[in-house]
Amino acid sequence: MTTTDAASTDGESVTALEGPGAAGPEGFQLLPWMADRGIVLFTVALVLFAAVFVDGFASLANITDVFNRSAPIGIVAVGMTFVVISANYLDLSVVSQVATSAVTLLAVSNSTGSVALAMLAAFGVALVYGVVNGTAVGIFKANAVIVTLSTTFIGLGILRWASGGSIYFGPNDGPIRAFGLAKIGPFPLSMLVLILMTLLLSYVLRRTTFGFMVKAFGSNREATRLAGVNTAWIVIGAFLMSALGALIGGFVLAAFSNTAVSTNGTGYDFEALAAIVIGGTSVFGGKGSVLRTLLGVVFVSVLSNLMVLSGLGFGVQQMAIGALIVAAVSLDALARKAGAA
Amino acid sequence: MKMRRARVVGLMLAGAMVLSACAGDDTADDAGATDDAAADDAADDGAAEGDTFEVYALLPQGNDQPYGTTYLPPFEATAEELGLNLTITNSQYDADTQASDCEVAVAAEPDGIILWPAVADTIRPCLEAADAAGIPVTITNSDVLEEDQALTAGYSGPDTYGQGVASAELMCDLAGGEEVGIIMINGLTGNTTAIDRENGFEETINEQCSNVEILARQPGNWNKDESQIAASEMITSVGIENIDGAYAADDTMVAGVIDAFKARDMAVEDLLITSIGNTFLGNPLVLSGELDGTVFQSSSWDGENAARTIYEVLTESPDERLVAFMPDVKVTADNAEDPAVAPEW
Amino acid sequence: MTESRNDTDSTEAGLDLGSGADLSRWRTVLARRTEGRAVALLVVVATVALVLEPIVFTSYEVTLGRLALIGLVALGLTAVILMGELDLAVASTLAFSGVVMASIDNLALGILAALLGGLVIGVVNAFFVVVVGINSFIATLGMLFFLRGAAFVLSGEEPVRLVAREAGIAFGRPLIGPLSPRILIFVIAVIALQVFVTRVRAGREFYAVGGNRQAAYDAGIPVRRRVYTGFMISGFVSALAGVINTLERTAADPTAGGSVLLASFAAAIIGGVLLNGGRGSIVGTLIGAASLAILQVALTLSGVQVDVQNIVIGLILLIAVITDPTTLRVVLGNARALFRGSSQAQPEPG
Repeated sequence: MTTTDAASTDGESVTALEGPGAAGPEGFQLLPWMADRGIVLFTVALVLFAAVFVDGFASLANITDVFNRSAPIGIVAVGMTFVVISANYLDLSVVSQVATSAVTLLAVSNSTGSVALAMLAAFGVALVYGVVNGTAVGIFKANAVIVTLSTTFIGLGILRWASGGSIYFGPNDGPIRAFGLAKIGPFPLSMLVLILMTLLLSYVLRRTTFGFMVKAFGSNREATRLAGVNTAWIVIGAFLMSALGALIGGFVLAAFSNTAVSTNGTGYDFEALAAIVIGGTSVFGGKGSVLRTLLGVVFVSVLSNLMVLSGLGFGVQQMAIGALIVAAVSLDALARKAGAA
Repeated sequence: MKMRRARVVGLMLAGAMVLSACAGDDTADDAGATDDAAADDAADDGAAEGDTFEVYALLPQGNDQPYGTTYLPPFEATAEELGLNLTITNSQYDADTQASDCEVAVAAEPDGIILWPAVADTIRPCLEAADAAGIPVTITNSDVLEEDQALTAGYSGPDTYGQGVASAELMCDLAGGEEVGIIMINGLTGNTTAIDRENGFEETINEQCSNVEILARQPGNWNKDESQIAASEMITSVGIENIDGAYAADDTMVAGVIDAFKARDMAVEDLLITSIGNTFLGNPLVLSGELDGTVFQSSSWDGENAARTIYEVLTESPDERLVAFMPDVKVTADNAEDPAVAPEW
Repeated sequence: MTESRNDTDSTEAGLDLGSGADLSRWRTVLARRTEGRAVALLVVVATVALVLEPIVFTSYEVTLGRLALIGLVALGLTAVILMGELDLAVASTLAFSGVVMASIDNLALGILAALLGGLVIGVVNAFFVVVVGINSFIATLGMLFFLRGAAFVLSGEEPVRLVAREAGIAFGRPLIGPLSPRILIFVIAVIALQVFVTRVRAGREFYAVGGNRQAAYDAGIPVRRRVYTGFMISGFVSALAGVINTLERTAADPTAGGSVLLASFAAAIIGGVLLNGGRGSIVGTLIGAASLAILQVALTLSGVQVDVQNIVIGLILLIAVITDPTTLRVVLGNARALFRGSSQAQPEPG
């Protein structure tokens, strides 16, 4: 597998943060190296800057806040990475999936008293989403943007009709609440879930045949198909990964606030995509990694945290995130150009 | 070509099935319309009991928000009782969508329109169109701008600005003249209810108790989790020792703020915390002493009176604008168990 | 891949239906056109609406108004998608332009500033795509966030009222017959853009740029300039939509445009536009937008609960997008091959 990892069409690193691209025959090239590892540098630089110059950033309480920020969106983003790498743009339905997952968890556990049953029910819903999305995009070759848009409409419509739009909240002494409150030092349990998910999905992407196929498919659909691979299953698998991310993300979100409502998860689609892209995964597909996505999530969370600490208003925050997305990808593009020149 | 034909047939079947399944609900509507033509003529001479009226309700929320969810059932029940045939739209707080819904409503020529403006600044053209078509319009929940009120026949509802005022008055009482620093969590940025409540709260604080200072503010977007994180970050930025209390624009968000305070080991009972709603989340917090004051908002009162007001306008054709304010009942530990303010959403 | 799907030598109107040769030529032209699915959907939706909610057609100006609301942005978007690019920033461009216009007291100056702003936004988008070399999806995603924030900052997070309120209300009233200025501007935009992509050389080259960019370069087409033009069209049209909306509403709402983004993509894709570029038409987008408009108005009139409405729209969208004729052929072919035990898969559409 390592040989194929290194051999990508444009000579760039396809794996996470290792691989070639550094010392070629021309010697060490700064810009491509930076573009590859840029996100790490940026994140480290940002964190250092904040720790030194922004009051209170480095406190334990604030670190917990950053983790709490990152956990739900991070879990969703690492799942959605598979869809992006498969060159299917993004999965808009994570919005309705997160809401459904959160509501199902609380509603079912409240009425049946069993958290396990609730999780099972939510898991079933996630399966349906993944299969429907994956089938429409993988077998019927329909456009992923429109397919996931329509499943969002359908999903939210069903959710609101079924849940009546009410807020559900769990009992104060329940296991869900306990999970949401639990911490190990400054690490909330949700952060550990995020890290576990990242490691698991990273393993799947880098070390399993399925993961390899997703990347191959993303970088060259036709070749993958001609090689005799059943591409439909690859796409279904990618959307199932995204559904898994949304499922667990919804659980974590519900546990954090011990409430769930059909408006949960609003904005997660583009936020997750932004994190994925800032992390360095290409929207064209075929290149990227789950670890990069985690970095992108951390970067965006730290930035948002900093902006609130600095008292910046919502409008300014949005402008900053937009500028950041463009800047991050610009640097990558310019570095690639300089490297190729 | 065979493929195309098969596809066309397939699409037609699918489309027809789906649409007719839903339209099955409203064959009653269509029947009602023809009945109404006759009933309308009778109504002109003087309304008789048992008339049915065709009424369009242009709302900005429904089952997509917890408040709307509990507004609709009493609304629909009262309407049915009074013989109002409702067609309900939900523009999800998008002004352009509501304007388009309004055009549709005016074209349908109902007997009356109930309007809950998504954005009060943009609603005048809709009012003028309805006025030109001779359709009376009553307003529910969020009133229109003063200069536009003449175009409407009535208003019923809570006063979102007044809710902010009431919550601020609670805060002023709690502060008792002392220098107090609070953090503020607002609703969804750009949302009319959020704007009104923020303005109501802040302007009242400035007028009545300038000893209370708003140290920092962030949007909580009506969400508990976002409010908790924003509150916690504001605590870090302002300094935990400087914080004496908090205000949030609704109970769901204040629950998040309180959780943030608890996570920092702050003595919540000693802090001055007010919000709006007296909801299922908020009421227990008042009883436990964590939330010091909130403002009761009855979604059922809101829904019922929306139907009643249009009914009165249609049957009595009053000369003056009918106005029914839902009283802003302040809820503190003293009256939190009073059934009159029992939480509804 | 052919440059253009619009065969300008043989428009349907110009054909003589006399001989069999012409008839088969007509069939070929029609078969190559991409709007077939959109027309099928429109026929279905219109028929059902006619039967169940005739007001959709008796008060046609309302439906046309809804069409103009969805369709204007979709038209500009189509120009960009034909070239193989995407413009996600349209929703925020709409809101931002509205705020710019309302923030300036002088109405004419405000409109001018807003439209100019739209052009500038288009230039900036194109700059990032052409000069810096970023994928347009990401560049415009960033702009989407950025402009939304800018709209909030400029407006103070509140709606901004027009100083010239009366002018705004007058703008919303019917101008020619029952048609409001919005509808008339929309018609002009449709005609202008249709002429541009079918008759003007620069516009026709959009298809080439989208179909095979390298070949377009090699053919001597000024690809970069075309990309700039495309994004400027999209930016301008979105700004125009923002101006129209703000005039009709008499106030600018910084949160506007939320539903526009996805509705316009849906309209374009239903209309047969291929997201990878090179295929599609303005007429197709128009038909797609018309289907959505009729659907929305009919559902509103029917009084069906909004949740159910959304489910219906979602289902119809899903069915419409799954049933692409070429891929259905492939899917059924694969299914047949599966049953026959053959391992030969059919070639996939490009």
